[in-house]
Amino acid sequence: MSPEPATAMSPALATPARPPRKPMPLQLKAGLAITGTILLLGLLAPWIAPHPWDTISMRTRFLAPNATYWFGTDEYGRDVLSRLLMGARLSIGMGVAATLVSLAIGVPMGLAAGYFRGWIDEALMRLADVLMAIPPIMLGLLVLAVTPPALWKTAVAVGFVYIPPIARLARSVTLTLASEDFIQAAKARAESTSYILFREILPNAWPPLIVEASLRVTYAILLGSALSFLGLGAQPPSSDWGLMISEARSFLDRAPWIALAPGFAMCLLVIGINLLGDGARERLDPRLKARLGKA
Amino acid sequence: MLVIDDLTVRYRTAGGEIEALSSVTLEARKGATLALVGESGSGKSTIALAAMGLLPAEAMVPSGRILFDGADILTMKAEARRQLRGSRIGLVFQDPFSVLNPSLRIGDQVGEGLVHHRGFTTERAFARAIELLDEVGIVKPESVAKAYPHELSGGMRQRALIAGALASEPELLILDEPTTALDVTIEAQILDLLEDLRIKRGLTMLFISHNLGVVRRIADEVAVLYAGQIVEQGATEEVLQRPVHPYTKGLLAAIPRIGRRMGRLAAIPGRLPDLRNPPSGCRFAPRCPFATADSANPQSLLAVGARMVRCSSAEALRDTPWPVQHETVPAATAAAPTASAPVVEVENLTKSFVLSRGALHWEGWRPVRDAVRIKPVDGISLTIAPGEVVGLVGESGSGKTTLGRTILRLIEADSGLIRIAGETVSDKPQSALEAMRRTAQIVFQNPDSSLNPRKTIRELLGRPIARFGLAPKAEIPARVDALLDLVRLPAHYADRYAHQMSGGEKQRVGIARALATEPTFIVCDEPVSALDVSVQAAIVNLLADLRDRLGVAYLFISHDISVVAHLADRVAVMHHGKMVEIGPADRIMNAPSHPYTIKLLSAVPRVDGPPLARGGVTAARNRGVMV
Repeated sequence: MSPEPATAMSPALATPARPPRKPMPLQLKAGLAITGTILLLGLLAPWIAPHPWDTISMRTRFLAPNATYWFGTDEYGRDVLSRLLMGARLSIGMGVAATLVSLAIGVPMGLAAGYFRGWIDEALMRLADVLMAIPPIMLGLLVLAVTPPALWKTAVAVGFVYIPPIARLARSVTLTLASEDFIQAAKARAESTSYILFREILPNAWPPLIVEASLRVTYAILLGSALSFLGLGAQPPSSDWGLMISEARSFLDRAPWIALAPGFAMCLLVIGINLLGDGARERLDPRLKARLGKA
Repeated sequence: MLVIDDLTVRYRTAGGEIEALSSVTLEARKGATLALVGESGSGKSTIALAAMGLLPAEAMVPSGRILFDGADILTMKAEARRQLRGSRIGLVFQDPFSVLNPSLRIGDQVGEGLVHHRGFTTERAFARAIELLDEVGIVKPESVAKAYPHELSGGMRQRALIAGALASEPELLILDEPTTALDVTIEAQILDLLEDLRIKRGLTMLFISHNLGVVRRIADEVAVLYAGQIVEQGATEEVLQRPVHPYTKGLLAAIPRIGRRMGRLAAIPGRLPDLRNPPSGCRFAPRCPFATADSANPQSLLAVGARMVRCSSAEALRDTPWPVQHETVPAATAAAPTASAPVVEVENLTKSFVLSRGALHWEGWRPVRDAVRIKPVDGISLTIAPGEVVGLVGESGSGKTTLGRTILRLIEADSGLIRIAGETVSDKPQSALEAMRRTAQIVFQNPDSSLNPRKTIRELLGRPIARFGLAPKAEIPARVDALLDLVRLPAHYADRYAHQMSGGEKQRVGIARALATEPTFIVCDEPVSALDVSVQAAIVNLLADLRDRLGVAYLFISHDISVVAHLADRVAVMHHGKMVEIGPADRIMNAPSHPYTIKLLSAVPRVDGPPLARGGVTAARNRGVMV
């Protein structure tokens, strides 16, 4: 045996292990803070809400924000802040559920299309095109028009709307990854197709998918709220943000705070989740990290 | 012509400041060729960028001057620098495939500089471009000028780029690895062309390369860079034949030579120092077998004869060679075993791809397409004995990689017989290849692409063992450690990810993974082509050791004939999908019979053998013998 390797690989000279961790990107911190706060407030809503969210009280109708009712009251005298807190659960839950639906269907679709190519690719992607050709609101209407509206149905409908972008992204990532040599290496030890798809390709496809999914959560919240606004989601008296805006619409001139509060809340949540997604990408992509580390 | 004086360049990066160049002083004399050689990380490309005034924004130049004809490029206004680049300095980049704009005609791109810097009209520039294309040896320059880049081969593109660099009649030509992306025969032509141009136009050339053989063919003077410093500088023939600095000695000893088989190559242990905080003493000392106590002190360039060497013991080391193990090739492997049955038998293997579906035309009333097909593997027959290394050489597009992967059924053959370890595998469905997948494995060229970046080394190496049930679950970590030991990586590497290792270390993991299934045959698909010379030597040695210890047979695919000549028992030469010649390595290297083999061998740039007259390739080819 030649003497070279002994010295070559002596620990002193070998590559230093993991370089010192990079500090957390600012956007990830901000995103975590905003989203975390909203999520926490939503979760704790029943306990921290200052007033009952669904008790009608005619004496306190249309009160402007004041010391007792921080965000004012609505046309039935209900506390806007309490309703907002309760509504956070519905809106976030709906957005996340919808995104999970589109991930659960879109990711396997994209993986299969990108890996097998050929007619499977054509069939799956044309299917996605068909889905995409239907305007999102129309698709929501279709699902919800034939059955009585419910929030979970809104979530599924919104989830279906966002299958195509997820599937397309998963497909394009898979196309690149499938040409990498580690896939050939897996084939050279006769790995099953499902192993290659879910154990070799999927872990590498996650970073862009997570970023995309986090964007989709925000879109899903917005679209779900739009559907609720149209009366196709949560039903009164529940306090879904979209529904709150819809109900407050007629009093926009007299009591703008009823509509503005859920509007601002949604805005803040969307910004928070977007920051979270961007920050997560910076953190999650090992190649990106290696590049930044070495450069 | 070009004087670089005490140049230091630092890059700001996320991980800290990196000193890419430390007080480099160089002079390119008028009408001569100065070559900069070094491995990755040596700073050679930074010199080129600095000389062009093209340093990226994160670069800082704390000290130094770059004088072009007396004017300092670094302090010049951006506009003046741009004028200089377009008129008096010409640039040729490494990759002819990405430098040309795919949507502009060749003639327009070659003449572009004339329009911008000399105020030519587009028509006049185009006409001049045709003359230039003719000058760089392009046949039918009129039609090439009207072609788009994708219609040209790599060699033609590089000629077009050289023509573009010459358009403004520059005095200095900076070439950054101009032939690295090209095949050897094309490389030889381009080098001849550059030499002709230098003589005809009196050009000064700054030639950057990692390939010492290429440098020998083109340069008058060579500067060897290591970790941002010049370690040795002098006349090319002097430096390459009688290196003084230990690094130069090691680098030259690590290069496999055709026709001089050694047991093992000399490898340089260790790695580049951390350039964020370069050592004050000799930067090569930790890897240097000659290091003395004095190595810890700052080293300056000393004159040794007519050259400069950065080593305080240079005078003493002048004639001491790099310590090489002159191990004789073990007899068992030197003669290819003949008694046992071959581990791989391939008969009449053919694979063709549809290149394009062809133009639509009418045959009677029916629309038909005549598909354009290529046959990267065309009727190949080959046997490999147990423990034998068969080298497969050929230029890009000759079908080497396709052949390797077709044998392993990673690409399905059109026809032909494949037998691995006595089992006919060519007629079985993929699902019935379990046994063959264990006995035959593959090592890939690019370790970045062949290791899943999301898995630790333990997972990467453990998976094949678990997949084939070669060891109970509890024993897998021990097996992984044993594999790491086999490829001489420390056991604590098991918890690392691929991106936490260097190129050579990654390639070792790739080899360990192939060995995990205890195969008897491994296809090595250009396993050392992506590595630096000193690392390449270590990997080649490792492969040779493993063959001797484990009796594994290799199909060793490489475009680098010297590496193949060093490692292989037999050599097969491929050309356009056909195997033009196969025979014992010594015979192929010393007495090739097929004209293509002769052409290929004569084009290989070498660091040994009698000094070639400039433009010697052509001369050698004319004589039809090897030099």
